[in-house]
Amino acid sequence: MTKEIDRRTLIKTATGVAAGTALAGCTRGGGGETATDSGDGSGSDGSGSSSSGEPPIPLSEYDADIDWAQFEGSQINIGAVQHPWVEAIKPAIPTFEELTGIDVVWNILPENQFRTKRQTDVSTGAGQFDVFFMDQVVNQYREEGWLQALDPYFNDSSLYDEDWYQPTDLFEASRWQAHGGGFSENWTGLPITVEVQTQFYRTDLYEKHGLEVAETLEGFVENAQAIHENESDVVGTVGRGQKGYGMNIYVLNTFLRQNGAELWSEFPSDSGLDSQGVIDAAEWYTSLLRDFGPQGASTQSWSDVLSTMQEGRAGHIVADANLFWPGLTGSDSSVADNVGIAKVPSPSDGQFSPNAYNWQISTSKNAQNSEQGFLFMLWATSEPTNTWMHLNNEAAFSVRQSVWENDEFRSRVGEDFAQVTLESLQAAAPDPFDRKYPEWGQRYSEELQRALAGQKSAEAAMTTAAGISEDIYSE
Amino acid sequence: MNTQTQTETVNKDQPSFARLRNLWNDYLPYWFIAPMVLVMVMITFFPGAYDLYLSLIEEPTVNILNAEFVGLSNYETAFTRGGAIHSFVITITVVASALLLESFLGFFLAALVAGVESSRAKSFYRVLFIVPMAVAPVSLATIGRIMLNSEIGVIPYLIETVTPFAAPAFLSEIPLLTVILLDTWNWTPFMFIIFYAGLSSVPGTLIEASRVDGAPLWRRYVHVIIPYMKPVVFVAVLIRMIDLFRTFGVVYGLTQGGPGTATQLVSINIYEQMFINNSPGVATAIAVVYLVFVIAIANIVIAKVGFEGVWD
Repeated sequence: MTKEIDRRTLIKTATGVAAGTALAGCTRGGGGETATDSGDGSGSDGSGSSSSGEPPIPLSEYDADIDWAQFEGSQINIGAVQHPWVEAIKPAIPTFEELTGIDVVWNILPENQFRTKRQTDVSTGAGQFDVFFMDQVVNQYREEGWLQALDPYFNDSSLYDEDWYQPTDLFEASRWQAHGGGFSENWTGLPITVEVQTQFYRTDLYEKHGLEVAETLEGFVENAQAIHENESDVVGTVGRGQKGYGMNIYVLNTFLRQNGAELWSEFPSDSGLDSQGVIDAAEWYTSLLRDFGPQGASTQSWSDVLSTMQEGRAGHIVADANLFWPGLTGSDSSVADNVGIAKVPSPSDGQFSPNAYNWQISTSKNAQNSEQGFLFMLWATSEPTNTWMHLNNEAAFSVRQSVWENDEFRSRVGEDFAQVTLESLQAAAPDPFDRKYPEWGQRYSEELQRALAGQKSAEAAMTTAAGISEDIYSE
Repeated sequence: MNTQTQTETVNKDQPSFARLRNLWNDYLPYWFIAPMVLVMVMITFFPGAYDLYLSLIEEPTVNILNAEFVGLSNYETAFTRGGAIHSFVITITVVASALLLESFLGFFLAALVAGVESSRAKSFYRVLFIVPMAVAPVSLATIGRIMLNSEIGVIPYLIETVTPFAAPAFLSEIPLLTVILLDTWNWTPFMFIIFYAGLSSVPGTLIEASRVDGAPLWRRYVHVIIPYMKPVVFVAVLIRMIDLFRTFGVVYGLTQGGPGTATQLVSINIYEQMFINNSPGVATAIAVVYLVFVIAIANIVIAKVGFEGVWD
């Protein structure tokens, strides 16, 4: 008898450990409790409701012509990367759960692990994630037939109310990227965060040298030169030089588009990388960083750029994510009181169109609860949820214009930051992530890095990059 | 009747039970190692075979049931636009240079410490020289990036302050040399430890005899000590060489294989093909060729240098 009890105990314990291991990383609702806490598989209620029992956001905010409660009692799995958006929305999840009766289960992983897990999930047809983070591989996934277009759900009157959702409040650049960056006529997901490139400069050095904030490329070079040549321990400017499709070319793409060039002027036969506009932009960027940037500019990643500016060793960041602002003006920065933000410079005869990047959430064809997932996407990207997230957290990545125009939000983040970001987002032109973008983007960035390191001229680098990119599509 | 039947059954079973017992006894050592062999097959053979399979199917997909065989197409891609040849050249350069430097420096330091007479000083140097090996590759890369940074790094600052020379941009002007030197700093302690142990095992009488015979220091090393240490040197070099072929973290953290592809080791190329280009077919094709290459190199080294004195 004793033996039998021991064996059962052993089996129960082993099962518990195995289940715990398998479910590690899963959290439910907004509370962040692990699913294994309950032991019976049902998990905790995940309620992050206030002590009064009221949801964080009043349900009256979601008074739309949508049948929110039609899937009451079901559950959705969300695959997410460790991202500030997750931290900002988690406290609001009880509102969604109360509104819809749908339980939310989070599967949060570091970015690289998440990408591997996501690919396995969709390509094997497992369909574990009902909603998941989507990035530069959107068109690869779409063309493989793994992504589900959201248009049928937008056309379902029980799931969508256009008057309430106000899709035109989403920035045009965000909507464009959610349509596969021009490669799809359908919604491939809904944008959740956006960042746009802006210029950062040292106000104290500007005052000292009598400089004006540059609006043109020529003016920017003059300012960088003035600081570089007159300050002993400060370089004129810093910018991303490291290779990677999210690194140096993310910045260069701003300037090539402002020069009137475009990536894939004829898809997929002409990459456009050897066009005059691209070569001019590459020459401008490489000579700027080589002449007035730090030694070894070709190896600077975004974190190097940020830390060099925070240490007070650079006069400008030529163009980088507006999300640098908190880091530059926070307690980690030695120049927190002397940093200004402005729109990125553009050619005097060109257009202002800074690069921007959106994370979006999508659903796969094999997801088991896509309709519930769509309700979640709609709720998460709606104006009430966005506004709440941005007024009650440190968030500053809203894809909705109304948030950037919100006085309370502007007062929290600062008028300059809000206005420059708003105007930049309104004019933003994000990268089109075609299905082989990760591959040719990587090679294009390697060539740019070679030019930044002085291994070859910018023209030779861009010509090589064009050949490689077109080769990749010729197979 | 019942009793008779039972007896017959027992008699029938006895020979087969005996056969089983004999089978067990005859192959006893094999039964004992069978679980380990099974584990080895699972963790070595299966992933290798799966890699080979992935290298022969169309990309990009991990859904093996729907995969389409494409022959050697992935191998062709790997050695054309995949840049495999270039990354092999870079890897061989790094392995050969770092191995030479680490071996010479490790032996030199071991000889110096072995010659120290004070046991306290010996302990101090032993601890001091093995500290770099304790630094994790990713930490080393992160610290290295900061220390070598031209604007905020301490190494360029020291070079420019202490010497009359301008510090180079380590990661963009001399990236390959920087990678080799950093690996040398990190792993010379490994060679030091093994060589020091080898030197300590050389009988004092041998050295004393050669000294009495009038052999100068260099001859004592060349003709007495090093030949005596040959098995130790061989094992150290072989282990370090194979480990160098597996280098990834420190170089990826430091340069990501750049600028361009100036420090793109085969391991980094495989990683980029797999996780950046989403091309498992090309990645595994390079991995398969690399595995064969490393096994071949290791076997050549073993065949040329030989195992005499190593195992016996």
